[in-house]
Amino acid sequence: MQLAKNLYNYRELLKSNVKKEIRGKYKGSFLGVLWSFVNPLLQVAVYAIVFPYIMRVQTDNYLIYLIIGIIPWTFFTTVINQGMITVRMNAGIIKKVYFPREILPISVALSGLVNFLISCIIILLFCIFGGVGLSWHLIFLPIIAIIQFILTLGIVFALSAINIYIKDTEYLIAFVINMLFYATPILYEATLFPEKIRWILYLNPMTQLIDAYRNIFLYHQVPDLNGFIYLVLVAVILFFLGLFIFRKLEKGFAEEV
Amino acid sequence: MSTKKEYAIKVDHVTKKFKIYYDKANTLKEQLVFWKSKSKVEERTVLDNINLEIKKGETVALVGTNGSGKSTLLKLMTKIIYPTKGKIITVGKLTSLLELGAGFHDDFTGRENIYFNASIFGLTKSEIDDKVDDIIAFSELGEFIDNPVRTYSSGMYMRLAFSVAINVNAEILLIDEILAVGDQHFQDKCFEKLEKLKHSDKTIVIVSHSLDSIRKLCDRAIWIKDGHIKMDGEANLVIDKYLEECK
Repeated sequence: MQLAKNLYNYRELLKSNVKKEIRGKYKGSFLGVLWSFVNPLLQVAVYAIVFPYIMRVQTDNYLIYLIIGIIPWTFFTTVINQGMITVRMNAGIIKKVYFPREILPISVALSGLVNFLISCIIILLFCIFGGVGLSWHLIFLPIIAIIQFILTLGIVFALSAINIYIKDTEYLIAFVINMLFYATPILYEATLFPEKIRWILYLNPMTQLIDAYRNIFLYHQVPDLNGFIYLVLVAVILFFLGLFIFRKLEKGFAEEV
Repeated sequence: MSTKKEYAIKVDHVTKKFKIYYDKANTLKEQLVFWKSKSKVEERTVLDNINLEIKKGETVALVGTNGSGKSTLLKLMTKIIYPTKGKIITVGKLTSLLELGAGFHDDFTGRENIYFNASIFGLTKSEIDDKVDDIIAFSELGEFIDNPVRTYSSGMYMRLAFSVAINVNAEILLIDEILAVGDQHFQDKCFEKLEKLKHSDKTIVIVSHSLDSIRKLCDRAIWIKDGHIKMDGEANLVIDKYLEECK
């Protein structure tokens, strides 16, 4: 409740902060904002060359399969990486002015969401020209994107606050994210694993998310209901847990940062 | 019925302690390695059990020597830091001028910074649109308003920051040692503006060492010494006593 009220009262600050996040990141570079789209594409290019030819992966439509994995993953990691340090980066104003501190992580997550939705155009283009086509299942896209937003925001709430007290968080999380990349079926298919242990892969909410994206973009299917329920549960729990940690720790920001 | 709304700021049994780290353990390793050597942390009580009520419409000055805790009290009122014990209740929209130009971006123009700074104070776009001309006029920056802030002189910077903060129309205004803004002409103007605000129903709390302006501006002064309230009363009376002790 408090959260909604704060956000409403400070909506102008939120808006200008989101704008700053989107524009500020690539400030001074020649391509500017375009980098947030070029970057994942370059990454896709690397994997699309390496995996089919060197590792002999034989997935149908592997390029599109990859893109649908990489772009949501980029959304996830950029928000975590930028969000984790956002409180520390804004130490200057935190020490001098009062404003609802949660604006900072929320701005990062929102700018990530905006970037992601724009990036979806790339996925759509690949689907259209890659021969996969589109279907009505795309109406699920905003719902899945919002679930990912809530889930990531919850993690960022917690990490941005903890990082003020324990600076190691940043380095530890960078490692965890790297690991998680390989623990998520982005480059490979989940069916690579024997059915007995495959469920472990599906405990990872990112697996569920990317599965859902692939269902609606690539396989023209309704997302798996059980997976979907699991996702919503995890997202809501992480969100409130993260907010709780943030609320506990935010009172010391001005002194500790 | 109105007893509840009479005060603008209520400081209720507030104690603030700061931890003084001589060598702060910032990383996990340091925290693990040094977790037993607690001797490195010292607690300092900056404010000790303060009780205070500032009524709506009052103009109050906090006086005291350096390090007496008056700025800490002001920071507690703005909710930048939080009390160790006790609580602080404020009623109404609050603006603080603890440090001028907090949140200014050097590469943005003066006008853009007005929007950004005012949004930190919680204003919406349309509210700022209404005020932006007043703010620019008050700052007397003229055509410089569309130049990047980094090209400003320190005086111009201060004038812009002060103009934003004073025009956001908050019900409570907290000011820390910034009455000396700009040249004589601008100082007089700020003073006039504060006088005007004083006679509206705004609540103003000022921390300052320029006792003469306090005498003119404030009806009440609170003298803080070593984290305690030493004296609280009519401004001239308190300042006389304070000066006596300073000798």
